[in-house]
Amino acid sequence: MGDLILFKTVFKKEFIEMKNYLFNTLFSMISIYMIFVFMFFGIKFISPQAVKFGNTIEGLIIGYFIWLFSIFGYSDMSWGIMEEARAGTLEQLSMTPFGLHRVLIYRIISTFLLTFLYTVPMLFLMMITTGKFLHIDLLTVLPLILFTILPSFGLGFIMSGLGLIFKRLQASFQILQFIFIVFLLAPSDKIFAFKFLPFSLGVRLISQNMIHKIKIFEMNRLDLLILVIVALFYFFAGFYIFKICERIAKKKGVLGHY
Amino acid sequence: MKIIEVKNLTKIYNGKKKTIAVNNISFEVEKGEIIGLLGPNGAGKTTTIKCIATLIIPDSGDIFIKGKNAFKHPSFALKNISAVLEGNRNIYWRLSVRNNLEFFAGLQGLNPKKIKNKIDELIDYFNLREKEKAQARFLSRGMQQKLAVACAFVRDTEILLLDEPTLGLDVETTHELKELIKKKAKEEGKTLILSSHNMKLVEDICERVIIINKGKVVAIDSIRNLKEFFGYKDFYFEIEGKIKEEIKREFIEKFELVKFKEDEYVTEIEIELKSAEYIYDVIDMMRKNSFKLKRIEERTPDFEEIYLKIVKNG
Repeated sequence: MGDLILFKTVFKKEFIEMKNYLFNTLFSMISIYMIFVFMFFGIKFISPQAVKFGNTIEGLIIGYFIWLFSIFGYSDMSWGIMEEARAGTLEQLSMTPFGLHRVLIYRIISTFLLTFLYTVPMLFLMMITTGKFLHIDLLTVLPLILFTILPSFGLGFIMSGLGLIFKRLQASFQILQFIFIVFLLAPSDKIFAFKFLPFSLGVRLISQNMIHKIKIFEMNRLDLLILVIVALFYFFAGFYIFKICERIAKKKGVLGHY
Repeated sequence: MKIIEVKNLTKIYNGKKKTIAVNNISFEVEKGEIIGLLGPNGAGKTTTIKCIATLIIPDSGDIFIKGKNAFKHPSFALKNISAVLEGNRNIYWRLSVRNNLEFFAGLQGLNPKKIKNKIDELIDYFNLREKEKAQARFLSRGMQQKLAVACAFVRDTEILLLDEPTLGLDVETTHELKELIKKKAKEEGKTLILSSHNMKLVEDICERVIIINKGKVVAIDSIRNLKEFFGYKDFYFEIEGKIKEEIKREFIEKFELVKFKEDEYVTEIEIELKSAEYIYDVIDMMRKNSFKLKRIEERTPDFEEIYLKIVKNG
């Protein structure tokens, strides 16, 4: 019961803050859309054939969509912690009897749900812009999205934890956002080891569904198993590292510092 | 019943320079007690408060909340503790007054809908009704601090830690907040640890004080006992004309703590006496030297002066 109250509390706060920062969010969405448009026309200009025959554009839409999802969750965690420390509320947040980690987990779920409000319209906007309409099978695509972006929350936990100790890691936060692109593009269909990177395998499986209409139970079982294991590994490893960092920050007495 | 037990607490910060913030301090707080935590800047007050709130892990020593080790059972400890911390905003600037109260209630696991009446009561009690829907960033500094204290109360914990709750507030707001905290804490039977440099605030609210200096406890007692123990009688005399140097020396030899201040027409003598009965000796000496006494005043030292004396001696 207490956990449900905590979740509702965190969700409500995230929602109110999202509303309060609406202009900022809309401006980011416009920027993100403009970047997509540039990429699309860039590909069209460099390789018109790709637009006509290949799956490049569909791949671009899916990759971009997943990247958006992952950076929303990741940055909300890593930047969020820094913002709380800067604002002087992190110590208050840490004083919940549920533990700071539980607050962060509920924040992840809230962000995941709220992110749909931005990413889904963006997905349709991208499809309208490119004229490529993807197959949307929610039963297949939703669990795949969840397990694909779960590692971003694990990485968010790691960066949040490091942020508790070292502070001012904004530059590293930004760099990691772009490293996400490298993970997304890693050809896990060609090199088996890449399946163990975050996002890579998930994006390919989502593409199988959205482009080739392959349902989840028709997909390679081993791939699905690897996707789930990799997602859980990154998430729990991140969570564990966060707990260690939190303890170190408390030992150093720097939890509320900025 | 002891609600807080601090046992041999030590915290050392290993920065560029090793700093012993808290050095083997121990004290106990009874349920429902209002305690003042005093000490100069850097004495270790905030570190002690943050250790009790489990925000800092000490190098050695333990803290027990209702008999349970706070660091082994942080969840249990935090069910019983809320705090307003020094130098922090403590509240969310982008949330309204009501939303802040609801958020902090929820953070404690309390359903904001079920405690709507309590939230309303706190809004009224802390005179925030007019700004109930305003985002905290648009409130005055005083109102923000009142909201921070209200957010600590809404968590409905038995223990309340207030670290410099009136810092940076004007005289009027300080007085208002002091009265609000005092009344509410008494009404709700809270155990309160209040750290402040405002001696008037501490003297008005607290039953007992813990004075720490350089990380060590130098005094734990009720304000009344400290006043009795460390108190002294200060007498002020105004004499017509100047006093000869040898007579001044005679006064200093006999009474030790004597201060002279003189101009062409008047000499002011301030004498600190251990007991009021020594006044006869002073008067005898004055009579013997034919002083023309213009005025006598008794000055009882306030708690601030006693505090300074304890810190200086400790």
